[in-house]
Amino acid sequence: MSVAVTTAKPTAKPAPEFRAGGTDFSERRRSGVSQGAPIDISAAGSKAITWDADGAALIGALATIATIATDARIAAAYPGIAASAQGLATPQVRQVATLGGNLAQRSRCWYFRRADIDCLKKSGSTCPARSGNHLYGVAFDLGPCVAPHPSTMAAALLAYDATVTTDRRSALTIAGLLGDGSVSHADHTLAAGEMIESIALPAPLAGERASYKRAISRTYAEWPLVELCARVVIADGRFQLVRLAAGGVAPVPLRLTATEVALSGKAANSASIAEAAKAATSGAKPLPMTAYKLDLLQGLVRDVLERLSD
Amino acid sequence: MTTTTVNGKPTALPDDPDALLIDVIRDGGLTGTKLVCGSGVCGACTVLLDGTPIVSCLLPAQAAAGKSLTTIEGIGSTGLHPVQKAFMAHDALQCGFCTPGFIIEATAFHDGWRATKGTATPSREEIAAALSGHLCRCGAYEGIYRAVAEACSGRFDGSDPIAPRLEARDKVTGLARYTVDIQHDGQLEGVILRAHVAHAKITGLDLAPARAIPGVAAVVPLLDDDNMIRFVGAPIAAVAAKDRHTALKAIAAITFKPEPLPAVIGLDAARRDDAPVVFEKKDRKRAGNVSEGAGGAPVSWKGNVRGPSAPFSQKAKQAKSWLAEARQQGNPLLVEETFRVSTQQHASLEPHAAVAKFDGDQLIVHISTQAIHESMEKIAKRYGLPHDKVRVIADHVGGGFGSKGSVGLETIAAIELARAAKAPVRVAFDREEELSVAGYRPAAELKLSLLPSTEGRLKALSLTAHADTGAAVNSLIAGLARLIYPAEAKELVDFDVLSNLPPGAPFRGPGGPPMSFALEQAVDEAALRMKVDPIHLRKQWDTDPNRQRLYDWAAGLDVWKNRKPAGSQTGRYRRGVGVATGYWLYLWQTGSSVELAIKGGRIVASCAVQDIGTGTRSVIANTVAKAFDLEPQDVEVRIGRSNLPPGPGSGGSRVTASVVPPTLLAIDKLKAEIKRTASRAPAPGSNAPWREMIAASPDIAVSAKRQEDGEPPPGVRPALHEAGIMGRVFGWVLRLMNHMVVGAGVPSSVQVMEVEVDTWLGHVRVLNAYTGLAIGKLAAPMLARSQAAGAVIQGIGYALYETRETDPSSGHILSGSMEDYRIPGIADMPKLEVHFDEAGFEHVPGGSVGIGEVATVPTSSAIANAIRDAIGVRLTEIPFRPDRLVAALKGRDAA
Ligand SMILES: Cc1cc2nc3c(=O)[nH]c(=O)nc-3n(C[C@H](O)[C@H](O)[C@H](O)COP(=O)(O)OP(=O)(O)OC[C@H]3O[C@@H](n4cnc5c(N)ncnc54)[C@H](O)[C@@H]3O)c2cc1C
Ligand code: SF4
Ligand code: FES
Ligand code: FES
Repeated sequence: MSVAVTTAKPTAKPAPEFRAGGTDFSERRRSGVSQGAPIDISAAGSKAITWDADGAALIGALATIATIATDARIAAAYPGIAASAQGLATPQVRQVATLGGNLAQRSRCWYFRRADIDCLKKSGSTCPARSGNHLYGVAFDLGPCVAPHPSTMAAALLAYDATVTTDRRSALTIAGLLGDGSVSHADHTLAAGEMIESIALPAPLAGERASYKRAISRTYAEWPLVELCARVVIADGRFQLVRLAAGGVAPVPLRLTATEVALSGKAANSASIAEAAKAATSGAKPLPMTAYKLDLLQGLVRDVLERLSD
Repeated sequence: MTTTTVNGKPTALPDDPDALLIDVIRDGGLTGTKLVCGSGVCGACTVLLDGTPIVSCLLPAQAAAGKSLTTIEGIGSTGLHPVQKAFMAHDALQCGFCTPGFIIEATAFHDGWRATKGTATPSREEIAAALSGHLCRCGAYEGIYRAVAEACSGRFDGSDPIAPRLEARDKVTGLARYTVDIQHDGQLEGVILRAHVAHAKITGLDLAPARAIPGVAAVVPLLDDDNMIRFVGAPIAAVAAKDRHTALKAIAAITFKPEPLPAVIGLDAARRDDAPVVFEKKDRKRAGNVSEGAGGAPVSWKGNVRGPSAPFSQKAKQAKSWLAEARQQGNPLLVEETFRVSTQQHASLEPHAAVAKFDGDQLIVHISTQAIHESMEKIAKRYGLPHDKVRVIADHVGGGFGSKGSVGLETIAAIELARAAKAPVRVAFDREEELSVAGYRPAAELKLSLLPSTEGRLKALSLTAHADTGAAVNSLIAGLARLIYPAEAKELVDFDVLSNLPPGAPFRGPGGPPMSFALEQAVDEAALRMKVDPIHLRKQWDTDPNRQRLYDWAAGLDVWKNRKPAGSQTGRYRRGVGVATGYWLYLWQTGSSVELAIKGGRIVASCAVQDIGTGTRSVIANTVAKAFDLEPQDVEVRIGRSNLPPGPGSGGSRVTASVVPPTLLAIDKLKAEIKRTASRAPAPGSNAPWREMIAASPDIAVSAKRQEDGEPPPGVRPALHEAGIMGRVFGWVLRLMNHMVVGAGVPSSVQVMEVEVDTWLGHVRVLNAYTGLAIGKLAAPMLARSQAAGAVIQGIGYALYETRETDPSSGHILSGSMEDYRIPGIADMPKLEVHFDEAGFEHVPGGSVGIGEVATVPTSSAIANAIRDAIGVRLTEIPFRPDRLVAALKGRDAA
């Protein structure tokens, strides 16, 4: 829709922006939300998945989500990564979208995505979602911006302690890459012109299992209300390790450490899971319209962990 | 310069790094690839890049360099692909706008499947996952499942099938041309400048800076003559330029001064006493219209609230006092509840679009319209042109659902720009315009009280509806409750609540689904309290003969007989079964005419009617073919042009009932004329006498106009007769003002839905849907089934997913993209059983009435009742999203 006022104040020269698959960039560029010209990087880096002797994978930033979703060795070693990749966007988008682009993608907040509305992530000084309609907003209110981080892969990588190497920094954790949720003007900590090169996953643990699920209203192809990637190691019927990373609930993907701790050493059964799931919302600060996300989060914890302890 | 290969042909790619692949493809004339959402959600723009399906609306054109692209035009160009044949045979399409994208994806899936799995049949789940990146608003999913499964299993490797839909071949090959695909020589692109604020007076509009931009051919003002803006997105001006990019630049150059006025957004805020008034008394006639029929009697206004409008009440005072008494006495049978339905957008995949061109003094306008003939009349009137100087054309229309029934802004802008520019101009809404300013079914608050008598009859009913109509009037929801379940007294009151939001518009059975949502849940609740079977109670309360038969069918369904006691389940997943009833008026349009001719030995049927995916061509072809022992493909059907004999609009489900009867009359005339002019009789013993006579006939033509219906059997009356004298008045007005007749007999539907609720994740899934329909004889059975299926899935969208979201203070529509306005996908389609009861309309020549609207009326209420059955809690507000489900299960109010 062409409206009379655009907030994108014509700066002298908008900073150019990398474009990998373009599945996020193209839409913003056409709508006028983002004004920087594209710097095409689709041939400027690695698409490969390589493995070291310990069985740890290194994924090039330009590897597509479809590659990650269908790679047999990834599915065997990191089932939570594979399942997350299989569950996001649509088949056609996954073919083109890259892992680097997924991590660096911009917010899907419906105010942010309109060229004619200003907000903290643009040049504005207030967040219209906070005072307005934040139905899909965060339930852990950690900073001035109330939009959840959009990256499904970031949550999965967080569950796996993955690290990111850019052309300027190495071994960044996901928290290092995306910040702690208090930053509102950006969706990551990348400096202008800083390029993600690869993502390293530690070798999987013996006997670990993992899974992923999102809560949505339709069956497929919908941005998650809440999503969860979980890894467990179960021995003698007890949880030896529980790793839970949730998306859709906070400005950055969140580790649910209280639940992880509560389950450590506990019997892997539905009673202990149900009890520990309650801790998933500790530290939550829902907005007026987002209390439901806490119910969904608890439901997801139970769903995913029950399936993993079957 | 880089190149790519498109369907085997080397093609240059533009150097512009911002160029997107879809524009390269479409600008190159390959218009089978459609632009719908522009954001990767709907899949309509899908093409194969080195054999892999990708969305061309997001792919930089440069990414195709050195690669090979296949568009829909490249599939089946040397013989149809099995998937295309299967789509044709299974009628896996309606309007066809989504079809090229689905075909591309399905051929890739099919080819991969066959290479690894031979002729095994893929499961529904496998097909749904593969096609999860595609959306179809008509809801052709049922046919798509069947088509893909059977193509994979090798059933369509052989010869081309006969399609039940006449134009199916053009739609599966991408050759069907829609308005957005029209490309005249020298055609310009028009863009509309819209308001950014919800309420303002505009002064100092200066179009000159836009005119000064090179490449701009015309700029016209579109502001109403009061210079007022009453909603975000209200039109201000329009520009025609050599391309969209230039037009957008010109739009940005236009200057004006908005004097902001206080705005009020939505139903609740606009009803407050201190709310700013949207339409002052003198401006009220400027409000839009959300109804299909004429505006009724004058109605009073108070602030932003227009009403009460209660022509269909019956002993309202009596109803009120009985209900008050029951309330006071704490009568346990008294059902009282406030329901809320939300705003539903039409979301047709083809946007509102028009291409206008002046050829001397002849105006030719392609419009994506539901009313060819009427649009011609209205355009002629507006611009003072004789009818024969205006030609409206719509060969194919990519969905409408009620939103394309009048001459819209896209058409006016295109005509005015074309006139000013002296060149053809196309105006096509973008997706955000489509999902915000192109109309919607208004949300509403519905207060209902229902009182059974001690003998178990329906004693009193009160329904008060406040509709969230934005900048429009004329909602009719509560009044529709008069025409079903006779009671001793009914108080039925409708209000429009106007606010600074875009105007609502008619949408498939306008107030029907909201009315049903409240009433059918109340009847269900009454049955629970009375401890009687809900179908049995409806059989008692509802006297309509068509629905009586449908109740018997529903009561006999295994899913109904085997249902668990209501609210008895406690596990995570709970299943429930619900029933609901719906009706719609049987309408036909006076003056609808059909010409039948023999031209060069072939039968040609002509009518200025349009096919918006409902199958008008096939309905006419089948009717003619049957009479002459021909195949439908032997009949050439000419529609979609206003210079043909006047036909009906596609609204009020009136096309079939308006077109079939005059076709039958014309058939009789043509038969007589063939015999009269025949030079010799057919060969004795010929098994195709008509075919022979037609082949040998000289060119002749006859035509016929819609005749009156025959005498209905006793007890079969027009639905409006239930409403006494006011109903008759309403009927007369409709006939006089809108040329629509409400005929005898009531098109009806009874639906049974089985749902599963995941109480942990708040997810509702419709597992099985059973839809029983009494709409007379089926003029095109497979297409009627497609309509029934599409209506159910649209109803599921209404019940579970769809809602418009706005910013409560600025009035911006936030759900302006297809990721935020959520229409159902293929995996959301339940297993479906369709039951047609073909009796009840024998007095209609041909015996057929419309299906489109009645089939969607009860879906949301049947789902609501099924959820109540599953979880023991009644949700009163749609859509039943996860946030509402988890809140209801916790006994909390949802946000
Ligand atoms: C319909 C739809 C549904 C979706 N659903 C989901 C979902 O459920 N979950 C989810 O996570 N995502 C979802 N997405 C988003 C999608 O996953 C991202 O758009 C995609 O992963 C981005 O990758 P890209 O290569 O296309 O990035 P681009 O669009 O090319 O770039 C995105 C951003 O990342 C930057 N960037 C790209 N590569 C690099 C790099 N190597 N280094 C530094 N910066 C870089 C770009 O500058 C740009 O700002 C969905 C998208 C669509 C269209
Ligand atoms: S939530 Fe964040 S992205 Fe959305 S409007 Fe507020 S600041 Fe902007
Ligand atoms: S138009 Fe490209 S996905 Fe909808
Ligand atoms: S046939 Fe799919 S949108 Fe009309």
